[in-house]
Amino acid sequence: MARPPRDAHAFPIESIVTDNSILQKGADAVARATPDGVARRVRGLSDRAVAWIFIAPTIILLLAINIFPLIWTIQLSLTNYRANRPNAEVRDVGFRNYERILGNEDIWFSMQTTASFVVLTIAIQTILGFTLAYLIDRKFRGHAFWTTIILIPMMLSPAVVGNFWRFLYQPQIGLFNYVVSFFTGAEPSSFTMLGDVDLAMWAIVIVDTWMWTPYTMLICLAGLRSIPDYIYEAAEVDRASAWRRFWSITLPMALPFVMLAVLFRGIENFKMFDMVNLLTGGGPGSITEVASITLKRQAFEAWRTGYSSAFAIILFVTVFGLGSIYVKALNRVKQR
Amino acid sequence: MADVSLKGVSKSFRDVAAIRSLDMDIADGEFLVLLGPTGAGKTTTLRLVAGLERADAGSIWIDGRDMTKEPPPARDVTFVFQQYSLYPHMTVYDNIAFPLRSPARRLSEDQVKARVDEVAEMLRIEHKLKNKATALSGGEMQRVAIGRALVRRPAIFLMDEPLSSLDAKLRAELRLELKRIQRELGATILYVTHDQIEAMTMADRIGVLREGALVQIGTPREIYEAPVDAYVAAKLGSPRINLLPRTAFPNVPGPPEAVTIGARTENILFDGAGAASAEGAVDWIEHLGDQNHLHLSVGAHKMVMLAEPDTELAVGDRVHLHLQAPLFFDGDGRRIGA
Ligand SMILES: Nc1ncnc2c1ncn2[C@@H]1O[C@H](COP(=O)(O)OP(=O)(O)OP(=O)(O)O)[C@@H](O)[C@H]1O
Ligand SMILES: [Mg+2]
Repeated sequence: MARPPRDAHAFPIESIVTDNSILQKGADAVARATPDGVARRVRGLSDRAVAWIFIAPTIILLLAINIFPLIWTIQLSLTNYRANRPNAEVRDVGFRNYERILGNEDIWFSMQTTASFVVLTIAIQTILGFTLAYLIDRKFRGHAFWTTIILIPMMLSPAVVGNFWRFLYQPQIGLFNYVVSFFTGAEPSSFTMLGDVDLAMWAIVIVDTWMWTPYTMLICLAGLRSIPDYIYEAAEVDRASAWRRFWSITLPMALPFVMLAVLFRGIENFKMFDMVNLLTGGGPGSITEVASITLKRQAFEAWRTGYSSAFAIILFVTVFGLGSIYVKALNRVKQR
Repeated sequence: MADVSLKGVSKSFRDVAAIRSLDMDIADGEFLVLLGPTGAGKTTTLRLVAGLERADAGSIWIDGRDMTKEPPPARDVTFVFQQYSLYPHMTVYDNIAFPLRSPARRLSEDQVKARVDEVAEMLRIEHKLKNKATALSGGEMQRVAIGRALVRRPAIFLMDEPLSSLDAKLRAELRLELKRIQRELGATILYVTHDQIEAMTMADRIGVLREGALVQIGTPREIYEAPVDAYVAAKLGSPRINLLPRTAFPNVPGPPEAVTIGARTENILFDGAGAASAEGAVDWIEHLGDQNHLHLSVGAHKMVMLAEPDTELAVGDRVHLHLQAPLFFDGDGRRIGA
């Protein structure tokens, strides 16, 4: 049976390799050697179809673990479903859940708490991380050793970190209070970081900063290392002062990396749960109740599944919207 | 503008000796071209003058001041880097304006613009001023790098193969522009090139470097007509000078210790009056349009000579060769009489 030569042409590799005569011959030979049955089965597929077959497993997984739950959550958010009463009648309530959430002061308070937590941690960690990276980038003696030391907190599990900071924050036996009292002279047991309305948020910010500054440092360091030495040499010959070299070369060229660090930390801390849950559980009262804690309380303590689904969707849309705006800005900076 | 003087300067990178005890004086307002094969230490010499490398030994004087230990800003030089070194996050305009914007210079933005526009126009990049420095062709990047050097009035201009990426036409134009600027400003320029036309036409003096040492320094004519050795002789001239064993031309008179005979292509004539120096056969002819290159066999040796564009010679023809003003080199390659 005569085969149309189209098959060999359809082979995509030929677009990459310019001298394709050898490939052409090879492909022809393979086509001739392929049993008719197989060839007919494969020949029925276009390149597009083959491409789809290759990416199908990924797409199916993505649908199963991301898209499907999302759609289900949206569906649940429009009902009064309660997971602890599976047999109760499920009623469609329209957008009632959304209305109630947006009109609820406690929810707004927890959103504000989240916002201040995110802004505080990002600001501190970015400035601290960039400064550390700038210092480490000087390549002083033993800088590799210090880099490793600085990175250790990041490698620990949040559960471990949460637990041992609980110990450190113990007013009676905790090291933290003693260190503070050593420097300020205040009585160690005169304050409790986790139990004080004014201090609890700072306690969490300190732990998060301790744990994740290494991460922002690492990304900032990558940014600083991406600036080639010859740029600095040119600037030096052009008689730019160290100050000007920092502001007109170091910072703008590292900025995309810094912004990336901000993005990663921002998303991560917007959905911060584990550390807050371990340290304060949202307390005292609900002073440190960030959005994800509220969500967990509504979903698994009050069992208001539909209501909390709606809240989850609101949070998702918020992160997604803010993230998209930010990524646009990031791309603009990169293209500058 | 200033004079430069290198006194016994040495520089090693770990076990590689890049510059070996280099002595060189560049007069105020002089255009000095450095020639040399790759790895000869040309870039290193420029970097030493700029202060981007520290000399291991010796001293560097600029405008009568010992600058050996001074950082680059104190030396007041501009540098056209071999690899351009543009600021990638800035526009072409900002790249060129960068040296003018140092707070110490206090130029108004109008003055900056006037200078940048002037330089950009000269380098034919005025239509690219708004481009990002990375959105340029290699030749355009190179011109921006030149622009960044020319926008300022430094004590010394250092240029590392500044025209290497440009096409022949632009290169010829900019060669003239650079020479004009140098004359107008009385600028001191230390210039590296591989291009012998650039070296011959622009240089007040040429310095030939080899393996980190200065082999010869002198005016282009001196270097061309009286090279110290066969290496320098081969550095200038295109096609290259013919270097053949003395024995190939037994009837050319010359000093007895000569081992090698050097004949520049334009100094070989054929079928002239008098006794022939040698006889050769035409192997092939390269037609260049304005001239022809004849490739000849003389005995077992090959040589190249020039011929008129309308030459009637053909492959296989035999010709009588006459050498004019041949150069003689001894067993070490040194020119006899140098
Ligand atoms: N930073 C460096 N580290 C180690 N060796 C270096 C360094 N810079 C230059 N060298 C060495 O010094 C020698 C001279 O180098 P240089 O760059 O001055 O050569 P060049 O004459 O400019 O060559 P080219 O014509 O290829 O640009 C070379 O052997 C090179 O390998
Ligand atoms: Mg070089």
